[in-house]
Amino acid sequence: MIKIQKQDWEKGLEKLKSGYELFGPVVDKDAWEFRKLEPDQLPVLGMANTRLSAKSTVFPQSQVMFRYSLEPSKEDSGGMQAEGLDVKPRAVLGIRPCDAASFQLVKKNFDNREYPDPYWVKPFEQTTFIGFACDQPLQTCFCTSVGGGPYGEAGLDLLFSENGDHFIAKALTEKGDILAKAAGWQTEGDAAELEAKRVAAEKKISTTVATDRIKTSSVLDLFNAPFWEEIAFACLNCGTCTFSCPTCWCFDIQDEVKGTEGKRMRNWDSCMFPLFTLEGSGHNPRPKKEQRVRQRFMHKLKYYPDKYGSDVQCVGCGRCIQLCPVNIDIRQVCESMNNL
Amino acid sequence: MGIEKDRLHFSWISSAEATKFVDVVNKVTASVKALGPAKRFIKAG
Amino acid sequence: MVTTTVEKIRELSAQLLKDKKVDMVIGFQKGSLPMSNEPVMVKRPADVDKLVWDSHCSVNLASYLTDRKEKIGVIAKGCDTRNIATHIIENKISREQLTIIGVPCSGMIDRRKVMNAVGFEIKELIEESDRVIAKGDDAEKRFNKAEILQENCAVCSHPNPVLFDELVSDPVEVKEGIDRYADVREIEAMETDAKWAYFEDLLSNCIRCYACRNACPLCYCPTCFVDESEPQWVGKSSDAVDTRTFHFLRAYHCAGRCTDCGSCERVCPMGIKMRAFTRKLEKDCLESFNWQAGLNIEQRPPLDSFNPADPDQFVK
Repeated sequence: MIKIQKQDWEKGLEKLKSGYELFGPVVDKDAWEFRKLEPDQLPVLGMANTRLSAKSTVFPQSQVMFRYSLEPSKEDSGGMQAEGLDVKPRAVLGIRPCDAASFQLVKKNFDNREYPDPYWVKPFEQTTFIGFACDQPLQTCFCTSVGGGPYGEAGLDLLFSENGDHFIAKALTEKGDILAKAAGWQTEGDAAELEAKRVAAEKKISTTVATDRIKTSSVLDLFNAPFWEEIAFACLNCGTCTFSCPTCWCFDIQDEVKGTEGKRMRNWDSCMFPLFTLEGSGHNPRPKKEQRVRQRFMHKLKYYPDKYGSDVQCVGCGRCIQLCPVNIDIRQVCESMNNL
Repeated sequence: MGIEKDRLHFSWISSAEATKFVDVVNKVTASVKALGPAKRFIKAG
Repeated sequence: MVTTTVEKIRELSAQLLKDKKVDMVIGFQKGSLPMSNEPVMVKRPADVDKLVWDSHCSVNLASYLTDRKEKIGVIAKGCDTRNIATHIIENKISREQLTIIGVPCSGMIDRRKVMNAVGFEIKELIEESDRVIAKGDDAEKRFNKAEILQENCAVCSHPNPVLFDELVSDPVEVKEGIDRYADVREIEAMETDAKWAYFEDLLSNCIRCYACRNACPLCYCPTCFVDESEPQWVGKSSDAVDTRTFHFLRAYHCAGRCTDCGSCERVCPMGIKMRAFTRKLEKDCLESFNWQAGLNIEQRPPLDSFNPADPDQFVK
């Protein structure tokens, strides 16, 4: 357990700059987003959460995978130059426990035995996650229902909690220990102080969901349930939920070519978009909105747990509830599915 | 939008108005050349 | 006893469903969050109590009519009815299919404006005609509704339905002396460099989620130009040039059709004020063709028809 005075927090960040690229929440228009910090920029702590999730620190929205050139004058003509794989150590500061836990869920997809994805795995392995616990959960936060909590430790290397003029922090992994040492944060702290804050924060969670019976229900029963038409009616298939969700990982690969040079890019894609499942033949297995909406919830709450034998693919951050322009609420969908 | 006005021109020229065509092409070319290479709406690499 | 707007909506909807004049009624049901409602489709008379009406019924319900085959009752405010008229002209729904329950509108509240103006999490928003109270756990803030209206509602020129079968309340007074285009003129007056920078900043955090396009009743192309890949007109990444192209080209596709319902800005998760584009084109259509979209179903829009009087001073 470590105790860090507020001025030592800033001094520590300064020390970290020589060994880590720093990422953290910064002001963006009227909200906050995770960005790579500018040289003199400090991460903003204490706002509820960023508008979009922290997944962009490891999995950016648009990413060049490789470039090529057929210009005879160029040295590497005819070859492909990979990009984005030479990742320096980085520290993601001020991440909430829900967002940190999401990386563990997403890791199952990208860091698998058969086809590990270096574009995700490299940055992930190079990142030390410094979490910032929640003392004021929102009315849409249901992390405690999905295996997490405002003081959850999954996916974090260090967990900080603010307490007046100082932070109380817990190193959770070796990576966390190394970072704390590099920052000079070595003063002994009181474990009971953190525990008391955890208990108080968990009491403030005001919304819960039950997903236990979804696990035991049959896939086909859920798939053919009558409530999907009603749930999907309002949906605009706009993609906001998928883009703000920390556990959504779908992407589209596209080449952008200009004459004899080009690049292959990866961009976030969304199962909400009609073209998502459009096949080369022209056939689209999910042409209707209702099918796409059903797919998203089934993936999050049924297919993922079935495939990996784990809890649902949701960390209860509540962004989809807050941002959905037509107020489709995953908690209500959970209820419908759980009470089938 | 922020693109210089003199880069965009509209003209109605019939295929029988060859002289007008030459005239307009020269005017537009001169007008755009005077602005130099376009820096906007060009995608970065 | 005076029937409230909500009661009248439910009464009319129940009657239409009972008489089988419609297969469904499309309206709003109460949302799970303050200041949020969810579009809903009611098929049974017993379910009409789900229908609500307040200052958070902003999303344009005309979007839910596109290409439907059923007989539909739809709850529509001024801007919604203008989009329904445009839908009829563009053959996306037929007049005979619809029973339009018109609701004269005094404006919708801008949820983001309210959230940014208070320093606490809003647990409840209470409306008392022109006064609004935002309540948190142990704090509250009062507003005049006029202060927190959506920007398009603040300059609305057609609050009353233009096309309807029933009207649930008395028409509202149209505000006098509104200048719809003061901010558009400000942008028009900017120097070239400043103009470029203005739009650069406006679109800097666009994530290409296409919520604006999807919420727009006008955007119903089976394959949107940004989704087309043969040929690829626009890149799909968050590149600034591609993003700007998406927004201004979409605005052009809405020229002469947009009613400024504000759904695009309402649904944008990033708070982008992209109406700057559509309203410039709206102003141009008004000034060039004396045209306002969707006021009746007889006239064809100016970009759809040729008139010898069409302005052509810009053609040399």
